[in-house]
Amino acid sequence: MKKLVFATIAAAISAPAAAAPETYVIDPRHTFPHFTVNHLGVANIYGRFNRTTGRLILDKAARTGTIEVVLETASIDTGDNERGERKRSRDEHLRSPDFFNAAEFPQMIYKGTATKWNDDTPVEIDGQLTLLGVTRPVRLTVDHFRCLPDPRVGGKREVCGGNATGTLRRSEFGMKFGIPGTSDEIRLLMQFEALRQ
Amino acid sequence: MLSFFDHPAIQGGVAPFVVGVVVAALFFRFRLAGLAVAAGFCTAAYFINGFSFTPLTATRKIILLAPAAALIGILCDAFARPARATAVALGLASGALSIWVFWSVLVQKDLLQALALGAGAALWVALVVSLTCGLAAQPVRAGAAGLGLGLGTGAAAVLGATASYGLLGIALGAAAGAFLLAQMILNRKTDAGFTFTLPAGLLAALVGVGSVLLAQLPWHALALLLLAPLAAHVPVPERVSVPVQAVILSALTLAAGAVPAVFMWRAEPGLPF
Repeated sequence: MKKLVFATIAAAISAPAAAAPETYVIDPRHTFPHFTVNHLGVANIYGRFNRTTGRLILDKAARTGTIEVVLETASIDTGDNERGERKRSRDEHLRSPDFFNAAEFPQMIYKGTATKWNDDTPVEIDGQLTLLGVTRPVRLTVDHFRCLPDPRVGGKREVCGGNATGTLRRSEFGMKFGIPGTSDEIRLLMQFEALRQ
Repeated sequence: MLSFFDHPAIQGGVAPFVVGVVVAALFFRFRLAGLAVAAGFCTAAYFINGFSFTPLTATRKIILLAPAAALIGILCDAFARPARATAVALGLASGALSIWVFWSVLVQKDLLQALALGAGAALWVALVVSLTCGLAAQPVRAGAAGLGLGLGTGAAAVLGATASYGLLGIALGAAAGAFLLAQMILNRKTDAGFTFTLPAGLLAALVGVGSVLLAQLPWHALALLLLAPLAAHVPVPERVSVPVQAVILSALTLAAGAVPAVFMWRAEPGLPF
């Protein structure tokens, strides 16, 4: 009987704590927002941002969650960062005012809220992307999401992560250079991991 | 598939030139042919960036300054004499204005770096505008200065990794060329005034500074661009015809304007992109 009382009390104490929103800090070593852009109607070129920070706030019991991701635009990497026989590499050109204008807009920020859930897993995020000083809605579909005790530290902390995809039109953010040779539509492929604090 | 107006040569060269010719022809009689340079620049800006001004980025501030500079130029022509003092005053005001244009970039730098970059930008803009506005009473020289400065700035900007700024610079040169062509065809000088020289000098200087601060144009290449307006001050016999004067002065300013691009090309050969 005593055990049952203790168990009930323990559950009563721990239940609110379990339902409270948990903060997860983005792990920059395992978070690389990728994108694809079509070049000349021929091939899809892949690129990514190498420096990302941010956080998730999740309350799986209440099925609420938010995400904030800050990407450093100067860290863009399309696999062409050596000049070779040219004056400038493609990545240097992408940092210029023709595209990301990294000197004036060093960051792009995505802030979203999980709006659709499948049990305790978010499947859709509605958010706002701020790029070149312009804020526009961008919806991400969460293709995969999982939380588990981090095996690298013996399960002492939780790690959550997954993959999300979405599309945007860069012209809506004022990035018009090179359209249509370099496509207006950009597909986002976001891989992210975050560590519980 | 590129449409006709998507082509960079149309956006930065042909369209500003055609608009420049039309505006110069329409306003020649009213001594406002100098509006050609602001009109040509705005045409290119419309095709390259569009007329959206929110948020007000450095590039958009430069575009916004094109009609503003033309308007101020008209007012100066109406109420001020084309004296050296006016040219210097406009240069100093333009230098101060450059801080506002690039404030969003400067504010992100360390204090010392921001001060150095801001002072450098203001000095450069003041010098270019003073030199260009000093030619307000000499329309052929002013046109040649705009041609060499615009094309030189455009070529240097392209090599500095910003094609859009390059096109804006080339558009300035094309529109200045249209202003010059109108005088050559009519074999008659018109008024350049501050209506022409203020937008030509200010916009070229700001495009140059933008290519340094926002892209990778080196400061020393920008400094060499001063040779273009300086070349327009070279003495040419006044008794030769307007077309001959225009050809001689254009050759000088184009050669001077090409110096930074040639310098950069020799230092680091290869295609721009």
